[in-house]
Amino acid sequence: MTPDLRTAVGDLRLANPVLTASGTFGYGLDLEDLCPPERLGGIVTKGLSPLSRRGNQPPRIAETAAGMLNAIGLQNIGVEAFCSDVLPELRRRSVTVVVNVFGESPAAYREVIARCERAAGVAAYELNVSCPNVSAGGIEFGHRPAALASLTAACRAETGKPLWVKLSPNAPDLVGTAQAAVDGGADALSLINTLRALAIDAVARRPVLQRGYGGLSGPAIKPVALRMLWEVHRALPSVPLVGIGGIETGQDVAEFLLAGASAVQVGTAVFRDPAAPLRILGELERFCAAQGVAAVGELIGGLQWL
Amino acid sequence: MIARRDLAARVASVEDLTRTCFRLELTCREPVVAVPGQFGMLRCGAELDPLLRRAFSFAGVRQVGEGWVVEMHIKEVGKGTTLLRRLAPGARTSLLAPLGNGFTLAGLSGGRLALVAGGIGLPPVLFAAEVLAAEGRPFDLFFGAARASELYEIDRLAAATAAVGGELGLCTDDGSRGEAGVVTGALERRLAGGREIGRVLACGPDPMLRALGRLATARGLDAELSLEEPMACGVGVCLGCVVELEDGSLVPSCKEGPVFPVRRLGERWRS
Repeated sequence: MTPDLRTAVGDLRLANPVLTASGTFGYGLDLEDLCPPERLGGIVTKGLSPLSRRGNQPPRIAETAAGMLNAIGLQNIGVEAFCSDVLPELRRRSVTVVVNVFGESPAAYREVIARCERAAGVAAYELNVSCPNVSAGGIEFGHRPAALASLTAACRAETGKPLWVKLSPNAPDLVGTAQAAVDGGADALSLINTLRALAIDAVARRPVLQRGYGGLSGPAIKPVALRMLWEVHRALPSVPLVGIGGIETGQDVAEFLLAGASAVQVGTAVFRDPAAPLRILGELERFCAAQGVAAVGELIGGLQWL
Repeated sequence: MIARRDLAARVASVEDLTRTCFRLELTCREPVVAVPGQFGMLRCGAELDPLLRRAFSFAGVRQVGEGWVVEMHIKEVGKGTTLLRRLAPGARTSLLAPLGNGFTLAGLSGGRLALVAGGIGLPPVLFAAEVLAAEGRPFDLFFGAARASELYEIDRLAAATAAVGGELGLCTDDGSRGEAGVVTGALERRLAGGREIGRVLACGPDPMLRALGRLATARGLDAELSLEEPMACGVGVCLGCVVELEDGSLVPSCKEGPVFPVRRLGERWRS
């Protein structure tokens, strides 16, 4: 029997639990020839700000053992270009679109959502309050529970659609920030964003990245992501979670579901293999079939703790 | 434009070119069509470390029997390239290709075409030379390296230039073969000697490309540079490999390049 891959993140129903992570799949159509977005559970856009952003000076990336650092700096085309040039085609293809929202102030976050609300085709929003690579916005909200609750409430006022908050693994109090996002009106939490990290060029005696620090992603961070996901799930068992962090195989997805995720996002794996989300989806289906799992929902939160 | 695909490939051969550089030939069953300057993202192994593919410009693509052979020249600099050097014939890998934009070979309005390569920047230049030779279109080629032992594929370069009556100018920093000094110096001497050069196509280390960028800007020469930037995805989504353009914007080299006309590039490449 073919396993039932359908899932839901709160009220948002998804054809399957595999989405793409923000910043790794462009705006949804960039890799459509290699990985058709309509076959995925959904796509999360590159972080969109009210106006286009130039991003950081290179070097922006550094490969590390089973991972990589990035400090892109939220380079993006701006919400207007996305809504007018990209979103109509995503809608025509019935792609489930989650818009990743970034701003340097609460007003800027609201502006992005307000612009998307005037368009058709957005299924949900994901607030980026955890990017380690910009000097204003983002982390100043994601690391301070009071600021995060207030930002989430401000965004909540702009939309009746599902509102996700993407949590930072670098916040001093993970569960506290998770609770603050929920208090502010978040429908779901996605975690984790990249881990603040440093790569050093020993010959030059300088950081590899022009910005100094960067965010670590890839398989190296998967155990950290699973631990954080499980901690948040245990503390807030009724809050839907979206798992992110180094997912490379279908079995990795099963691990995130067991730790409490209702869906996952595949990120850095796309850089290795642009069709990775589809491959991983196929592997998940085979994993379920082999394990006698009739529906992926059976896995969610199913970790048997000691 | 030829559609990019993630091609299943097998190693046909691995052969040393110099002490540090080697030729890797891959065989694909699906057609591979690319123009000089285009590149592919090659998987180094099945494991998670190294995590990312490596970007290589093609030195040539040819149909052999039922398959297509892709030729790459690779310098062993780290874990990924060491793994590639150790691949055995028959080993499976995958190649995402063709990617990026190549050199402009057509539409030369006057003067001669000059191809310039430095060190391991030779592959797209060799590819261009052999395409031009096959089409009977004249060009001169200048190839420089640190020392004689790092100049390679000289017979193929000589054959391609000779086929169209062009000059092959070799240079070494230490004077152990050809003209002593950097390869851009050889080009400057031809210009000083009155040679009309209509376009320069170049690939090599950054200092060489920047020198060419300055030269082209000062003399109003039409020039295209194939840049090397570290890449994660190769397909324009990670935005890791950005290059600064003349208007101050930062664009991914994998998609907008890797070949850029000098006039489009920012100050770094022109002054």
